[in-house]
Amino acid sequence: METSVEAKALTIYYGKQVALRDITFQLGLSETLLLLGPNGAGKTTLLRTIAGFHTEYSGELRVLGKRPEEAKDLVSYVPQSHSLNEKVPLTALDVVAMGAIFRGGFLHRRIPPEIRERALKMLRFVGLESVADKLFRNLSGGQKQRVLLARALISDPKLLLLDEPLSALDPSARAEVTSVLDKIRKERRIAMIITTHDVNPLLEIGDKVMLINKRMIAFGRPDEALKDEIIKSVYGPMARAIKVEDRLYCITGDFHIHRLGREVR
Amino acid sequence: MIPEFILRAILASITISVLLGLLSPLINMKGLAFLTHALFHALLFGAVLGMILGLVLNNLSLVMVVATLVTVLIVLIIAELERFGFSPDSAVGIVASFVAGLTVLGFGVLYKVMAGRPYFPLTENVVSYLTGELFLLTKENLLTLTVFGFVILLVLILFYRDFLYISFDMEGVESYGGNSRFYLVLLYVLVGLMGSLIVQSVGLVTLQVVAVLPGAIALMVSEDLRQIVLTSLLVTLTVQLSSVVIAYFTSIPPSGIATIILGALYGALLIRK
Repeated sequence: METSVEAKALTIYYGKQVALRDITFQLGLSETLLLLGPNGAGKTTLLRTIAGFHTEYSGELRVLGKRPEEAKDLVSYVPQSHSLNEKVPLTALDVVAMGAIFRGGFLHRRIPPEIRERALKMLRFVGLESVADKLFRNLSGGQKQRVLLARALISDPKLLLLDEPLSALDPSARAEVTSVLDKIRKERRIAMIITTHDVNPLLEIGDKVMLINKRMIAFGRPDEALKDEIIKSVYGPMARAIKVEDRLYCITGDFHIHRLGREVR
Repeated sequence: MIPEFILRAILASITISVLLGLLSPLINMKGLAFLTHALFHALLFGAVLGMILGLVLNNLSLVMVVATLVTVLIVLIIAELERFGFSPDSAVGIVASFVAGLTVLGFGVLYKVMAGRPYFPLTENVVSYLTGELFLLTKENLLTLTVFGFVILLVLILFYRDFLYISFDMEGVESYGGNSRFYLVLLYVLVGLMGSLIVQSVGLVTLQVVAVLPGAIALMVSEDLRQIVLTSLLVTLTVQLSSVVIAYFTSIPPSGIATIILGALYGALLIRK
């Protein structure tokens, strides 16, 4: 099977300290992986290692057949929007253009017309062409996340890495972002890895789920990976999976309800 | 007829305003206010070294050259520490404290050198350095300020968008194929060179204020980038020129007046907010 990401006995370090150990998985070329785990479980660390930002690891890690540092041109990383410095008065179009402008030369006084066109096309794809000239900081949380998705897509990546794209969003904004992610999955057919601590809104677009907590607890299809005993082992004895009207939900320690889908028995 | 020294002060003020008008908003947006504090230490240490060498070699024009080189070296060390994972504030803290200690040791050496040589010409240099003296600028000083100011301005304009991008999302620049380290180092070097270039006009004591406040004021009253840069430029120009006029009639150093006006303006805006 051709893979977008392949990890074998991957252990990630910060100095001498082990941050995450024993990660083994394969992700297909157009599959979506939901990476779950409580705060501090190592989700962002794994994502940043796959992105090539963090290089202290042992074991094997291949991204689109290459070492992560060599695959950067094929990968787009979408950070949590609160990690951006919104004091800088960039427009939505400026932000999207950023995803393509650095591929050519090191001087970028103006956005070239060709990149401007592509940026507008990407904004159209995420349904935000009308806000192209608005300041990024003045957009709503959901709009910001969609602009960041447009920025990630403009370089035509083969793998999209998204760090908590739904965090701090209200339910309607979550729905907006989830719908764009679904559109990317269906129309662009690229692989995605999405970290989240709330799986509920994303389960319908996830082909695979990985549960981690300093190590890999489970990996597989959502109905395989999210079982009652597995959830308990990560989120504590109060966590459980319950079935209501033929649908399964998991209640974790922080009382998020994760719907597992109709097909799960 | 305007006296020549006033004309030189006005021309220097215009050059300084254009430089700060562009750079000050970036200093604020990138969160480099603490870096300008490190400039204070770097320039003082460089000046002390330059004064020692200047006295020993009987060439006081070395003061500015040595101060510039030392300042650039120190901002490069700060940028390098950041690359190793230190936060900007930690990097500045480490370097500034080390340089402050070296400066005190340097003063000890300077006093010894001064004891054995005539040091009267140094006095003017020290005064210009500490409080800034627009009225004491020579034609050569003005020429240096204009030529190097133009070069800094040119580089700043060419890379302004890149500097905005690294201020917005440094990791994003790296992730999308940009050399974020190059842009960061270039920005730090420009800030260092700018400090070194204008210190004799605005003074070491007030350098941080004039480098930070125009941008901070502009960011408080404007949203759009063009407006921010224009406001910063107008604030600096108005304050600098006013301080020259007031200083001419009151015999108070213009840098002190400029700092007080900027502080009052910023304070008033904060209170209004």
